[in-house]
Amino acid sequence: MSTLNQHERVRKGNFIDHLAKTLSWEKFLFAVGLFFFVSMIIFPFYWMVSSSFKSGAEIAGRAPVYIPSSLRLDAYRELFDPAWKSFQNFGSNIVNSLLVAIPTALIAVVLSIMGAYASARLHFKGREWILNGVLIVYLFPAVLLMIPLFAMLSKISQTFGFNVQDNLVILVLTYLAQTLPVALYMLTNYFRTIPDEIEQAALIDGCTRFEVIWRVTIPLAIPALVTVGIYTFMIAWNEFLYAFIFLNDRSTFTIPIKINTIFNDPSPRPHVVMAASTIMTIPIIVLFLAFEKYLSQGLTSGSVKG
Amino acid sequence: MAETASSKKRFWLFSKSMHASEVRLAWILILPTAIIVFGLVLFPAIFSVWISFHKIGLYNLNDVFHAPFIGFDNYKAVLNDFAFKWGGPKQWGAWVTTIFYSFISTFITLIGGLIAAILLNRPFRGRGLARSVFLFPYVAPVISVAFVWRWLLDPRPSGVLNHILINLGLIETQQAFLATRGLAIWLVIIFQAWRYFPFAMLMILARLQAIDDTLYEAAAVDGANSWQKFISITIPQIRYVLGAIFLLRLLWTFNKFDDIWLLTGGGYGTNVLPVLTYQFSFNMYDFGKGAATAMIMMAALVIFIIGYVLIIMRNSEES
Repeated sequence: MSTLNQHERVRKGNFIDHLAKTLSWEKFLFAVGLFFFVSMIIFPFYWMVSSSFKSGAEIAGRAPVYIPSSLRLDAYRELFDPAWKSFQNFGSNIVNSLLVAIPTALIAVVLSIMGAYASARLHFKGREWILNGVLIVYLFPAVLLMIPLFAMLSKISQTFGFNVQDNLVILVLTYLAQTLPVALYMLTNYFRTIPDEIEQAALIDGCTRFEVIWRVTIPLAIPALVTVGIYTFMIAWNEFLYAFIFLNDRSTFTIPIKINTIFNDPSPRPHVVMAASTIMTIPIIVLFLAFEKYLSQGLTSGSVKG
Repeated sequence: MAETASSKKRFWLFSKSMHASEVRLAWILILPTAIIVFGLVLFPAIFSVWISFHKIGLYNLNDVFHAPFIGFDNYKAVLNDFAFKWGGPKQWGAWVTTIFYSFISTFITLIGGLIAAILLNRPFRGRGLARSVFLFPYVAPVISVAFVWRWLLDPRPSGVLNHILINLGLIETQQAFLATRGLAIWLVIIFQAWRYFPFAMLMILARLQAIDDTLYEAAAVDGANSWQKFISITIPQIRYVLGAIFLLRLLWTFNKFDDIWLLTGGGYGTNVLPVLTYQFSFNMYDFGKGAATAMIMMAALVIFIIGYVLIIMRNSEES
């Protein structure tokens, strides 16, 4: 009996010792800090996704509902089901956003390959000037450019007699102007890390410059090209201000403008806003997770302004 | 002799034509980018200066080049606008609000990023996943996160923060947090820090991981505790990164329109210069006044950057 008690005491003592050893102040602070950050980050996203499945009664209740009683698709049906009352035709907004974001990304990649090749490999006067000048764009606030752009577009519309506003092509061009400088800068730096000798060898073998770019430079730069493409896609997909100013016709609204419209509707329907936000956010998060390795490097090289 | 000269000459000629074609090719390759950037960034920026000296409203927008020149009137109007100028502690005016908000939120963003980077610099199970999750606020579209926050802070019974605070007994009735002067600006600052700390975190983390471990080992041999190590090794090692992030984030926060516009619409003491620029131009349709506000912003930025660079240069000369 007594030996058993003693045994127990010894074991207990060991356990507490063990605890005291593993549970230092540092570890405790670390755990608290991690918990704080993770919950602060995750909760708004959880709220967005879970709220998109709530019913109207759960939205307007006397207290917030943290877990929806069932996965109701009311909000999604309002967005996509033509038979639903106050049908939002959200599909067309998704198409508009894709029509802006995909061409922006593709054109940005192609143009920045061309420009970056020129400024990394070819010797010409004004090369450094262009590279540095291009970074000045970083300084210009979006609100500074929106007024002259708006005035220019009005003037052009009037002169040429076609509607430049409510035109997705203009948005593509505007986003290109915003993203190309940094894309060019990033790719130039990447091209400079590719040994020149490989290209020289291909040139001596009789390849033309374009063949060299196509067969040597581009395959070697795939990671950087993916980064540039995804970044420009994300920027174009997320962009709010220019789309807000340039688009007035409902049929041309991109997703952010549509969400803003639903949000400001006289009868508040937050679950619909959350459903639309969920649809807008998920592709971005998925893209980000899929290419995180490349994108983190891009982030640290300052590729995203915002 | 003659032969070598002629071959030299041929070589020179050859290289020249090669060089000329290279230059031609370079310009062809860079031209599309140059046209787009010039046409949609540099030209508008210059045009904006012109607009700021003219009277332009919706009525003469189509005939912009014949707008009347009014000198500095737009600038005077902005500087005397009650929304811009300092009107006492209850009515800060946009320029004080902007400076307060950009500095404080950049500072908090930096601190948040530093703490997050230190947390993630420690090996633990699931660190990779945690790092990805930490970046979510930064990559997610601003419009969706801003509206989630608005709902969390909503004064209606379904607002989460109200519900929590009432249950904790900290407040008695529902509050409209984002519509409370004084509080709203702090909420905007917290939102900014929440959304942008991952950027600071990523940059600091990259630097932290490059610090030589032997420094810490040597300090441990000398009997330094964690705090001493942090102060005398970590901070000096990441000083320059912190300075660079501070500058970058400050510029971007200063210029930011979307976040504040979507959270408060610039009301309740959160009217900053970018929002004011928007209001002058697209609510009041006074484009000249809007452009003047943007130019004042730009001037403040340039002055700040020059000052910052000068201080940095003097410091680096001293040390």
